[in-house]
Amino acid sequence: MQFGIFSVGDVTTDPTNGRTPTENERIKAMMQIALKAEEVGLDVFATGEHHNHPFVPSSPTTMLGWIAAKTEKIILSTATTLITTNDPVKIAEDYAMLQHLADGRVDLLMGRGNTGPVYPWFGQDIRTGIPLAIENYGLLRRLWREDVVDWEGKFRTPLQGFTSTPRPLDGVPPFVWHGSIRSPEIAEQAAYYGDGFLHNGIFWPFDHSKRMIEFYRKRFAHYGHGAEDQAIVGVGGQIFMRKNSQDAIDEFRPYFDNAPVYGHGPTLEDFSRETPLTVGSPQQVIERLLSYRTHFGDFQRMMLLIDHAGLPLKTVLEQLDLLGEEVLPVLRKEFAIGRPAHIPDAPTHASLVAAAASKDVLAEAQA
Amino acid sequence: MSTRRLFVVSAGLSQPSSSRLLADHLATATARELRARGEEVEVRTIELRDHAHDVVNNTLTGFAPTALREVLDAVAAADGLIAVTPTFRASYSGLFKSFFDVVEEEALAGKPVLIGATGGTPRHSLVLEHAVRPLFAYLRSVVVPTGVYAASEDWGSGGGKAHQGLAQRIDRAAGELAALIAAREPVTVVDPFESAPSFDQLLG
Repeated sequence: MQFGIFSVGDVTTDPTNGRTPTENERIKAMMQIALKAEEVGLDVFATGEHHNHPFVPSSPTTMLGWIAAKTEKIILSTATTLITTNDPVKIAEDYAMLQHLADGRVDLLMGRGNTGPVYPWFGQDIRTGIPLAIENYGLLRRLWREDVVDWEGKFRTPLQGFTSTPRPLDGVPPFVWHGSIRSPEIAEQAAYYGDGFLHNGIFWPFDHSKRMIEFYRKRFAHYGHGAEDQAIVGVGGQIFMRKNSQDAIDEFRPYFDNAPVYGHGPTLEDFSRETPLTVGSPQQVIERLLSYRTHFGDFQRMMLLIDHAGLPLKTVLEQLDLLGEEVLPVLRKEFAIGRPAHIPDAPTHASLVAAAASKDVLAEAQA
Repeated sequence: MSTRRLFVVSAGLSQPSSSRLLADHLATATARELRARGEEVEVRTIELRDHAHDVVNNTLTGFAPTALREVLDAVAAADGLIAVTPTFRASYSGLFKSFFDVVEEEALAGKPVLIGATGGTPRHSLVLEHAVRPLFAYLRSVVVPTGVYAASEDWGSGGGKAHQGLAQRIDRAAGELAALIAAREPVTVVDPFESAPSFDQLLG
């Protein structure tokens, strides 16, 4: 079971003092948060990808490369890699390079995650989001798995005798998760390839996330990758903690009330009831996060949002301390209890290399 | 024979509200007409004011809170819809529009709809034709020819005596809606997961 945090990279005014960080401050803050995530024992740090104001992370591999150089253990991932508007050739190359520099500590979350205006800036159309996600990812897989690729599709220039460079580390491409909030097509895509499916339902009721995940599990089994409960599932969450739960609520409320996306809408109480948002004591956060298993079954990765809506860096680092000291050890222990032996862990570079090697041995034995 | 589901939306804001009163008359008349055609009918009426905060929250967050989700699902599953709004600033009320902004577009496609409006004066009666009907035309609903507008003074017009009496218009509109519903197969809601394309289909 992996636990991580993801950042959307929004530059948002702190509603308690009216101060807006500069882009430079926000970018550097994200880097401090990533380093702290490793320090407190989290397994994954992921950054979003955006090409529109007020978000800063337009260049995830540059950011993750910097973090890779300064960390030892943490897996570097994305909270969406835009498989729709990015050139799959550039994704193949950028992330293979990152994979080498990070000694394999890299995986990706594919998403369409863009607003309408972003698509045309990259020569695409949001109405073809799903076909783009299907075609571009199909090409990306081939570029990582075949040394020489001849290819022709609907959306991109054809390729003749093309080799993306560098080749993936140890001949094993980064593991891929697919993310979608509403589209069964993307859960189907993840299931078809036997990739991971991460449902970031932080703005959605649990029963919606549950339906998406159950659909993915069913289709994963349909395509012969294993039993339904062996599918590779990730989920999203959102937390804010203080030792005393009322302090957490009082401190977080102005950030919640003015947050991008849901600010000036539902109350903190309504939103906490309807969605995975949990504001309270570490014990309350532990109980809520443990309850995910009753909704989604045993899963492989939990990603938490803790640094948005203008929360100051100092506060976010305090959240990470609480997470590392009081929450993570209990979650690791409790999630391990009763977890059946046949449920796999989330794939890592090491496990994928081992799996590839055993496949080679098998092939040689059969030859 | 399956039971026909009639969903009634009133956007009236005061309590009691004349929009709700009109909606109830339209619903009663439509149910009577359907039963006269041998159909079982189940009528469900909501007042949008009870869901006003959820509608705004849905607009801001992109998802429906549980109570509103259940209403939206029921609208999609209905065999016929009666929608009544008060006239605000020469059009439907903002809450009425906001509600239909969060109903999935496809949910109303092909669905028989009876539109009604209320207002203080008969001068607003064309609100149905220049505002409400185009909204449902956009949603590709099948709107019955007779829309029912009730001004304050209409509540005093008799059914049979006055040629344009409100009761007569209600009956005519209800008959049109009942005929459309009875002529159709009962609505079955398509599960998006059951109808999702397989990957072979996605690959084209």
